[in-house]
Amino acid sequence: MSFYLRRVAFYLVTLWAAISLNFLLPRLLPGDPAAIMLGKLRRASGGRPLSEETIEAITSILGAGKDMSLWDQYVAYWGRLLQGDLGVSSTRYPASVADLIAAALPWTIILVGVATVISFLLGIIVGAWVGWRRGTALDHLVPVTTVFQSIPYFWLALVLVAVFSVQLGWFPIVGGYDVFEFPAGPEPTWAFVGSAIYHAILPATTIVLSSVGGWLLGMRNMMVSTMSEDYVVTAEAKGLTPRRVRTRYASRNAAIPSLAGFGIALGFVVAGSIVMEQVFSYPGIGKLMIQAVQGLDYALMQGVFLVITLTVLAANFFMDLIYGFIDPRVRHNG
Amino acid sequence: MTRTKRSFAVALAAGAAAIALGMTGCTPSAGGGGDDASVLRVWAGSATPINNNFNPFAVDTAVHATFGVIYEPLFFFNQLSADAPVGLIGDSYEYSEDGRTLTVTIKPDLKWSDGDDLTADDVAFTFGYGSNKSEQFVSAEATDATTVVLTYTEPQFTSASLTLGSTYIIPEHIWADIDDFMAETNPEPVGSGPYVLKSFSDAAYTVEANELFRDGAPAVTEVQYLGLDSNQSSQDLLTTGKIDWVGQFIANPDAVTGEGNITTQNLQQDPTTITTCANADLGCEGAQTDPAVRQAIDVAIDRATIADKAFAGLAGESSPSFTLQPRDEQWLSDPELATSPQEANAAEAGAILEAAGYTKDADGFYGTGGTAFEIDLFSPDGWTDYNDAAKLISEQAADAGIRINARTVSDAEYWTPIQSGDFQMALYGLTQSIVADPYSNYHEYFAGTSTAKVGETPLVGQNYARYSNPVVDGAVLAAGATQDVATKQAAYATIQAEIARDLPYIPVVLNASQSFFNTEKFSGWPSEGDLYAAPLPYLAVANAVVLSHLTPAK
Repeated sequence: MSFYLRRVAFYLVTLWAAISLNFLLPRLLPGDPAAIMLGKLRRASGGRPLSEETIEAITSILGAGKDMSLWDQYVAYWGRLLQGDLGVSSTRYPASVADLIAAALPWTIILVGVATVISFLLGIIVGAWVGWRRGTALDHLVPVTTVFQSIPYFWLALVLVAVFSVQLGWFPIVGGYDVFEFPAGPEPTWAFVGSAIYHAILPATTIVLSSVGGWLLGMRNMMVSTMSEDYVVTAEAKGLTPRRVRTRYASRNAAIPSLAGFGIALGFVVAGSIVMEQVFSYPGIGKLMIQAVQGLDYALMQGVFLVITLTVLAANFFMDLIYGFIDPRVRHNG
Repeated sequence: MTRTKRSFAVALAAGAAAIALGMTGCTPSAGGGGDDASVLRVWAGSATPINNNFNPFAVDTAVHATFGVIYEPLFFFNQLSADAPVGLIGDSYEYSEDGRTLTVTIKPDLKWSDGDDLTADDVAFTFGYGSNKSEQFVSAEATDATTVVLTYTEPQFTSASLTLGSTYIIPEHIWADIDDFMAETNPEPVGSGPYVLKSFSDAAYTVEANELFRDGAPAVTEVQYLGLDSNQSSQDLLTTGKIDWVGQFIANPDAVTGEGNITTQNLQQDPTTITTCANADLGCEGAQTDPAVRQAIDVAIDRATIADKAFAGLAGESSPSFTLQPRDEQWLSDPELATSPQEANAAEAGAILEAAGYTKDADGFYGTGGTAFEIDLFSPDGWTDYNDAAKLISEQAADAGIRINARTVSDAEYWTPIQSGDFQMALYGLTQSIVADPYSNYHEYFAGTSTAKVGETPLVGQNYARYSNPVVDGAVLAAGATQDVATKQAAYATIQAEIARDLPYIPVVLNASQSFFNTEKFSGWPSEGDLYAAPLPYLAVANAVVLSHLTPAK
């Protein structure tokens, strides 16, 4: 049991460190969000002098911290965090960060999540098969998939859009759903779900295409080395069916290292795929992150980083527990 | 496994878009995107998620349809012409002799989109509300149902376009209850414009014809505004016939207009300049504080090449007088100042520097005492036209023996130093005056009252060059206090001579602003012969004027 207690304690400390870093990092960046917003406001208003009221309203919300010590800000930050208040976005003023994240998160989790799972399963299953039949024509799958992985992702996505959406017209060009058909936004109907799935196919394909190669290669190589293990040889010698040797003896053990990688990949699902979201105007969270960083939107930046940190930690924690369960060796220390 | 891809993310460069450009240019599959042909679809530049904000005071963060389409000012000032403004809510206006009182008559029997009457009381309320109250504002009074009298402490001749052209009239019966006007998001806007909000989502929002609009509901019954994250997406949707109107940069416009149903216009108005921190007295540091150095840079750069290579040949020629030609023809004092030199003249640059006492060092760069000076020139990373222009400027200046180091910075690092004055030179776009009178350029960017010491942000104006010249200040004051053309011309001649010599902003080009619109589905767009408004979907008020001129073509 103490294995699990140690893990919990470890993750709590990591969590505290991550949240504190999340507070500190944006403050080390140059630039002042209030100054940026005032500057843009001034340009946008065509030279109208900004009233005292306006300047005050903006600096009080965004410029906080000039007169406060770092420690007081840190305490206030924890206080707000514990109440679930992530602050107000300056680039989307006055929208709340929590609302922005809540709207973006489901899209990212579903699309990138499903794509990651598909990519993993595909890589593992095909990889196991390719490893099993090593040395045959099937081995050519390895270089083919790794080529897709080495093509810069944005290029791959742009080419697929140019061919399948613009030229052939098979898939939509942008969006998470058909904004022409559902001008009022998401609604709980099957037609909408269908539209969302249809819009997800091409972006998901790009993610799977660009990531399946890694899983496949890893699995194939593990499979090859597992098959020279004594217990596999013994199983074959016992006269078990090749199918049983492949699935129960070789694949199961070969997949264990990939599972650890899968845990990390799952954690990063929430970070979204910034490029994919940019190319497809997909309403996900990666884009919020980019916008926040570019616009020096501290609150949004912190909110997004926090959510990403929490999920990465949670996914790792979960995989740690699972791993300890599947592979008892990790529960013994030293 | 996709982690490496993520770090590539930031590298999503325009270069990638250019690759796809070549591929999409061939034969786009035709086909209507939507079902209903009478819905006009627009991309005005907003990225997703679209902000649910219809607050007319949030000039920077509210959605595009707020300005002109839902809320209207009193008059429309067409920035393309020198003609008198067109009445929207307003019917006529008149200044008192001293310019301190402005009497506005509004059209009779106007309605808000919720059915209430729009009267002079609403107009008076608007001018006394929130950020509309300027420092010089005294009072706004409705003397009868259609007349409003505005009183100020100073002459207001030059602020007509602000007061009458970009103060959005709001209904008193709704806004009287709103105290925090900056934090308001106004999700159910009630305005007087040609359209009312129909539906909103963070990916798109739709406005429909306002049945109570004073000229009757517009012919285009619905307009949908889309949120898109890249210019490439917009271009793809345009070529496949799924959107009808965009304002964006497309380096190769033929790829879109080739089919014949999309028409493009390119307006060149806003000057891009090398903004310098020019005034050592206010704390600027560096060689560029010497006017001779700025003059040398001015003649050392090859604007024709910059316009061609960095701006894809789409930019216009800028004027050191900071007037817009030919619109502001009557205000140009000297034909010499119509445009900046378009070709580089390294010899002249050298002569200017030598006359000012600079000598070449061993490497051929000018400086004093054997050490060459170096000037830092920055532009925001990813604004590829600016980045390329900065690189060219650096190379061209080097040919004349001037060392300029071009570098790129993040957006955040771009805005802050410009405002605080903590920089030497930056590529920066000024905003052209929207009326046929350069006054606001002079007041905004050159007047000493519009600047502040280095380290402080100007409270009024955007004189980020920290330029301060009593001769210019006097002339700006004189021009602002009169409506007499001859007096103004004299004042402007003084200003132009001073600023063209001192060059706190070294003009580079006039920025291109391209618009693309579908002439097959809708007719009535502004054309060469009839530029009744700028066809840019993101331009406040002009966008609404264009929309109310359109009719579905079938």
